[in-house]
Amino acid sequence: MADYADPNVLVTTDWALENLETEGVRFVEIDVDNNAFDAGHIPGSVGINWATELNDPVNRDIVSREQLESLLSRHGIQNDDTLILYGDNNNWFAAFGFWILKLYGHEHVKLMNGGRVKWLNEDDKPLTTDQKTFPTAHYSAQEMDTTERALVLEVMQLSANRTANLVDVRSPDEFTGKVIAPPGMTETAQRGGHIPGAANVPWSTAVNQDGTFKSLDELKQIYLETAGVDPSKPTVAYCRIGERSSHTWFVLKYLIGLANVKNYDGSWTEYGNLIGAPIEKPTATTASV
Amino acid sequence: MPPSPSDHETSHTSTPEQISSTDQRVYQDIFEMLPGVDNPTPLVRINQLNPCETFTLYAKLEWMNPFGSIKDRAAAQMIKALEANQELSATRGIVEPTSGNTGLSLAALASVKGYPMRAVLPNKVPLTKKLLLRLAGAELQVINDELCPAPGLGDGSINMAKTYAKAQSTRYVMPNQYENQNNVEAHIETTGPEIWNQTSGQVTHVFVSLGTCGTVTGLAKFLKSQNPEVRVIAVQPSEGHDVPGLRNISQLEVSKLYDADLIDELLEIDFRLAYQNSMELFRKEGLRAGPSSGLIFEGARQAMKSGAEGVGVMIFCDDIFKYTDSYARHFPELLDGTEP
Repeated sequence: MADYADPNVLVTTDWALENLETEGVRFVEIDVDNNAFDAGHIPGSVGINWATELNDPVNRDIVSREQLESLLSRHGIQNDDTLILYGDNNNWFAAFGFWILKLYGHEHVKLMNGGRVKWLNEDDKPLTTDQKTFPTAHYSAQEMDTTERALVLEVMQLSANRTANLVDVRSPDEFTGKVIAPPGMTETAQRGGHIPGAANVPWSTAVNQDGTFKSLDELKQIYLETAGVDPSKPTVAYCRIGERSSHTWFVLKYLIGLANVKNYDGSWTEYGNLIGAPIEKPTATTASV
Repeated sequence: MPPSPSDHETSHTSTPEQISSTDQRVYQDIFEMLPGVDNPTPLVRINQLNPCETFTLYAKLEWMNPFGSIKDRAAAQMIKALEANQELSATRGIVEPTSGNTGLSLAALASVKGYPMRAVLPNKVPLTKKLLLRLAGAELQVINDELCPAPGLGDGSINMAKTYAKAQSTRYVMPNQYENQNNVEAHIETTGPEIWNQTSGQVTHVFVSLGTCGTVTGLAKFLKSQNPEVRVIAVQPSEGHDVPGLRNISQLEVSKLYDADLIDELLEIDFRLAYQNSMELFRKEGLRAGPSSGLIFEGARQAMKSGAEGVGVMIFCDDIFKYTDSYARHFPELLDGTEP
């Protein structure tokens, strides 16, 4: 971990175990499967529901500043707390939460390397169903800094001009348009395929069997050498709804250390539905499903 | 234990207990019906579909077990071990990741014994199996295991079951069929000796599929201890398969019971043949075998090429009834004539 561009954004499961009671350290679980927290979680952690608490369903947007302040205050989280995020699927939505917290200026936020699966499979790491409550806090978020958030018009421009690295982190079947979304997912699109000019580097290529991130050398090999990500250009990661791409955004920005990396959270559910947005689909000559 | 036939000969008054006899298929409770050397599941010879005159091929019909599959054996053994350690009670039940059959066996056995059961299963398991689990009294938790392929992510259902066992250990214990040696022991104690007895020690080949690998490992250990020349031939479905309960080699890392050294031959079979062959087995041999049996039969057919000699036993894990929807998906023509 020490070799990463910013090793301070990760903690090990052992570090987490030693700091369960540390003042100013708070554990936050964010899962794909919102039942997982109730089944069992790290003692003292709080659970955040990505679907209802990190998104604004009315505006179809990420949570607003006020909504985030209310959420974190309710969980007794202070501005200077160090937040340790973890979750299932090797931290998909934990990374999404990390990205949102950074957009709103939370300084001390880290991912637990390996996520929920690593903790679960280590014998010395406890799980509980006890829900710890904390006194309400008065969390104050900053205005959203959109430097690391890509919006669709920018993405269309970057795609048309080929002036950025577009990294599609979905599975190869989604990238080629064979499927529009992973099986069982309700958020889909009108078309299958990918944004023109994008390279396919599935998010999972960045992780080891135990759920931890691969070494810096391996990550550089995957993204810079094999996939051809040019560090001198801006980079935009996208997936289907922005959570898997948060994972890759984290890898590119904090572990490899690229200077200009954005997450396009609108991702395929936005782009794939957009009128007038060209796609690439290797398995068909026309831009249709 | 049921009385031996000699007990009946010396008895003048018949009580219900005394007429109990596995020979006559009279059992005092469902546990007595569980298989073993004295009460084996049937071997039925393959006739029309046997391509090799010098090779005698039998199917071992595991759907004749009380709850319809080979998993009754492992489930019974695992529950027995948990009971021996006093790990089960009316308030501390079982949680287990399962694609259906183990869950059904565990749920049924647990229900009769008064233990709660929570089955955690992948979404792709057919609805029929999910409903069977509910009918047997299990609580279900369905997990979407196929969100986006990731090496090392593991099965969501296994991790969720582990979560319950770890976080709620006063309510749940997880037998963990993928790691539990009792899964192997069940076949060392029952399936292996049954086959050895039923073939009078003449068995030369066994054909099995790979799932948790308890069957292949237990069978191989027992049969090779009787005759090291017995060949163990395992079949695996090709990648991307939809044969419930089976695992391709690339999916086997979750099973700690897999021992490659015990397998003489490993055949990868196009998974579509699982469905095609089992339909053929039903129509030509009257064996209502499920898709995994179709895959195993293909393995036997391939191994019998070039004039093989011997006595082979195929382990037919379960029957076709739970999978009719899958067959309709593979063979849409089956739906012809099903509407007025």
